[in-house]
Amino acid sequence: MAKMTLEELRNLRESKKKEMTQRDDEGKSAQIIIGMGTCGIAAGAKDAFDAFLDELNSHNVTDTKITQTGCMGLCFSEPTVEVDVPGMPRVIYGNVDDKVARRIVKEHIIGKALVSDHIFDKPAADIIK
Amino acid sequence: MHATICDLITDLVQNSIEANAKEITLNVEETKTNLKVVIADNGKGMSAETLEKAKDPFWSDGLKHKHRKVGLGLPFLFQTSEMTGGNAQIESEESVGTTVAFNLDQTNVDLPMFGNFTTAMITLLTYGFDGNLKIERSVDSKSYTVSKQELQEALGDLNDLESLTLLKQFIETNEEEING
Repeated sequence: MAKMTLEELRNLRESKKKEMTQRDDEGKSAQIIIGMGTCGIAAGAKDAFDAFLDELNSHNVTDTKITQTGCMGLCFSEPTVEVDVPGMPRVIYGNVDDKVARRIVKEHIIGKALVSDHIFDKPAADIIK
Repeated sequence: MHATICDLITDLVQNSIEANAKEITLNVEETKTNLKVVIADNGKGMSAETLEKAKDPFWSDGLKHKHRKVGLGLPFLFQTSEMTGGNAQIESEESVGTTVAFNLDQTNVDLPMFGNFTTAMITLLTYGFDGNLKIERSVDSKSYTVSKQELQEALGDLNDLESLTLLKQFIETNEEEING
């Protein structure tokens, strides 16, 4: 693909916005928060990030945000990812590699079922007050 | 050390974010023989004494994680540069900012792989912080620059899936252009 300019980027974004006329962002969108501390990076959080982006796009899921956070204190289970789907419990998943990230998209975000074998219930005690 | 140079860069830019920098400049210049990276921020900076301690892997200011006794970000940088015949410098002044600069020998067999620059930049550009991040990137004589501010003006909320997808295309095509 030819080098994209900021102008092209702006136009593409505008045309995509028009496609999604009736989207209620705040109320409905799912959120994926990826732990990107030193530990997360070292364990391959960037691969998980890429996998999430790719899998969400290949299933045409649009109303989702991907954000990042620092270390959640679960360094032994990195990459850790918190998933918040409206109407479902907030869940922290551990050991999220490329494959698990794709499972989370298919099973949790699309299928509305938790990926039970990768769940950690809450951040470590020294992180939450 | 980190598995890739891009992981190392991500880690170091996050230090700037965590130092409450409002303006961060990341410069990554590659030639066949040398890789130069400069990360300059206007964050809270460090005193000379703190800076010395920060180079010790068994020291942490304990602010982020109360009981933690390690801080591996900067030690990973020095380990990588020492093991591969490169060099690394940090200059910092309290309330002014910090500049981390390093040169690595691209021909050294022990140098970690460069890694995926596009993903590294997307994660940094969409990391939740208020300030601006300016990326100056070059390979030999070709270059491009882009800033978080410009991208936000073009795309709106960068964390949105549509924005992320376009952002990925944008950086990928610019990377292809300069690596081609």
